[in-house]
Amino acid sequence: MQPAEAVPNLYHPNLMRIAGFADETPDVRTLKLQFADAGEARAFTGWRPGQFGQFTVFGAGESVFALANKPWHPNGGAEPPTIECTFRAIGKVTNALRALSTGQTVGFRGPYGNHFPLDDWRGKHLVYIGGGIGMAALRSAMLETLDRKAEFGEVLILNGARTVADMVYKEEMPSWQAVQGVRVVRCVDPGGEGEGWDGEVGLLPNVFEKLALDPADRIVVACGPPVMLHYLFLSLGKLGYRPEQVVTTLENKMKCGIGHCGRCYVGPFSVCRDGPVVTWAELNELPKDY
Amino acid sequence: MDRTAWVLNETELRAWLQDLIAGERTVVAPVAEDGVVVYRPLAAAGQAVLEPRGKARWSPKEFLFPRTEALYSYSFKGDAVAITDPPRPERPQVLFGVRSCDAAGLARLDEIFLSGRTDPLYAARREATTVVTAGCAAADPECFCTAVGGSPVGEEAADLQLVPLDGGWLLRVLSGKGEALVGEAAAGWSAPPAESGERVAALEREVAAQIGRNPVPQEWAKVLEGGFASPSWDRLAAHCLGCSICAYVCPSCSCFDMNHEANAWCGEQCRSWDACTFVPFTLHASGHNPRATRGGRYRQRVLHKFAFTAEGEAHFRCVGCGRCVALCPAGLDISQIVTAAAAAIQEEGADAAR
Repeated sequence: MQPAEAVPNLYHPNLMRIAGFADETPDVRTLKLQFADAGEARAFTGWRPGQFGQFTVFGAGESVFALANKPWHPNGGAEPPTIECTFRAIGKVTNALRALSTGQTVGFRGPYGNHFPLDDWRGKHLVYIGGGIGMAALRSAMLETLDRKAEFGEVLILNGARTVADMVYKEEMPSWQAVQGVRVVRCVDPGGEGEGWDGEVGLLPNVFEKLALDPADRIVVACGPPVMLHYLFLSLGKLGYRPEQVVTTLENKMKCGIGHCGRCYVGPFSVCRDGPVVTWAELNELPKDY
Repeated sequence: MDRTAWVLNETELRAWLQDLIAGERTVVAPVAEDGVVVYRPLAAAGQAVLEPRGKARWSPKEFLFPRTEALYSYSFKGDAVAITDPPRPERPQVLFGVRSCDAAGLARLDEIFLSGRTDPLYAARREATTVVTAGCAAADPECFCTAVGGSPVGEEAADLQLVPLDGGWLLRVLSGKGEALVGEAAAGWSAPPAESGERVAALEREVAAQIGRNPVPQEWAKVLEGGFASPSWDRLAAHCLGCSICAYVCPSCSCFDMNHEANAWCGEQCRSWDACTFVPFTLHASGHNPRATRGGRYRQRVLHKFAFTAEGEAHFRCVGCGRCVALCPAGLDISQIVTAAAAAIQEEGADAAR
């Protein structure tokens, strides 16, 4: 018999080296990953903000994370692709991932899903609202926005967390604020403020209401836990935002990333294939199954 | 002489089957194993259970979509990670004596695995598979194919079709693959009787008349989807045990899990059958579960079969084989539940309008 021929494999991950990491909170870490193989790095075509990937810890399994850094695009070898992901150590795979150190190898496959339509938002004011680790799903779009700030109006970044200790991207927020026309507002839930906290205190939707922004020509991009989004949408409705002005990313349990395994369905909508980025208007058309 | 249909007696059928087994293809057919009929690769034609009625305990879907399989294997020693892709699937196979409902189930799997990004493992197996269906001369108590748009002599996904007639079998070619499978074997076979088309139609009507369940109209897809928030789902699912036997025996269920099976230095990325009626199916790492209730999970099962369809799919994903009805330990009958849900939703709508 002829030796069996391998088939092109949808699930075969690229091998990535951990080039560095930053601990955002006691249980949230951001990893910087680079392709172990130069050929695979050359073949990589980059991603659009809002897309996600499947990350493999060999011996433990795969987990889905948003691609969290500014989108990388092929640049003729000037700068190799670096992929960042921010994750909370909460289960088997993520705890195993957190145990790895710089120089070790993980797997990556992707990018998957649709993306934030940044080009459609040119000329508009933008609001990025991240609740807890939800900010990770927005960071790629937000960093690209800061990079292309001249194309947009005012940019407001609202980074909320339960407590000061749980706030992600603390170290880099000053660099966001440093961009002209950008305002960063930090807020923690009541009781989550510590000694010397100089940010806002309050539930994130309430803090957003108090900012009293004019909804005209504004796009709100929000990601956070389901309960936060529920109350945020109520606030947005009260403030006069139309559902078409509000964009979020659905984060259901996913495995395959390509619309086959069936677990991320919201009605007929496969989050990994048709999402994860949806407008509030699109969300209103879907059954409440997320 | 018609080159696309013949009549075979039992001896001719078994002789052809034996020739197929001796050839280059693996022939998979229903076999009685400890009293349970299951699909197995045949060593001899005599093993095959080829009856004018009845179905195997499991559908043949596992010969295209295995219960569990490695998507790749790997070793990881220190920083040296080496990944090995699986070999190209198997030699050509024939699925022989497949009931029409089960063949329709294969078409539903095609819609998942061959849509969007094609699954190469599934596609390679599918390409190498020839399906020979066996129509039914009688319905079993759990059968309801005609209630969901199917037929006991349905042609969907069939390359060749056997129909039981007069104690023998009418054999019809339905595709190029089917024609290739017959090849030269047809030389000694008899032409079908002139009225065989009408005989098949009469058989279809006869079997349909034995199926007692109410037809599920296509329009109910919208009714059911519109009734997503109906309180009736909790009531209808109250007896569901969450065991998911329904999904495991279902010819069209295609959901799967992906997990690593590994020791300290090597492992496999495995794909295994999974089911929306299991609690952890949609459980987020945060603890949030969009389908935290039994009613919510059972609703997903019903709606994915009868309401949520991709664009261009004008049929249900349930093929009416009835295995889930026969094997549910809580006695749930999906066809009755669909009827009850549609009625409850329409009544709630009428109440609201009053």
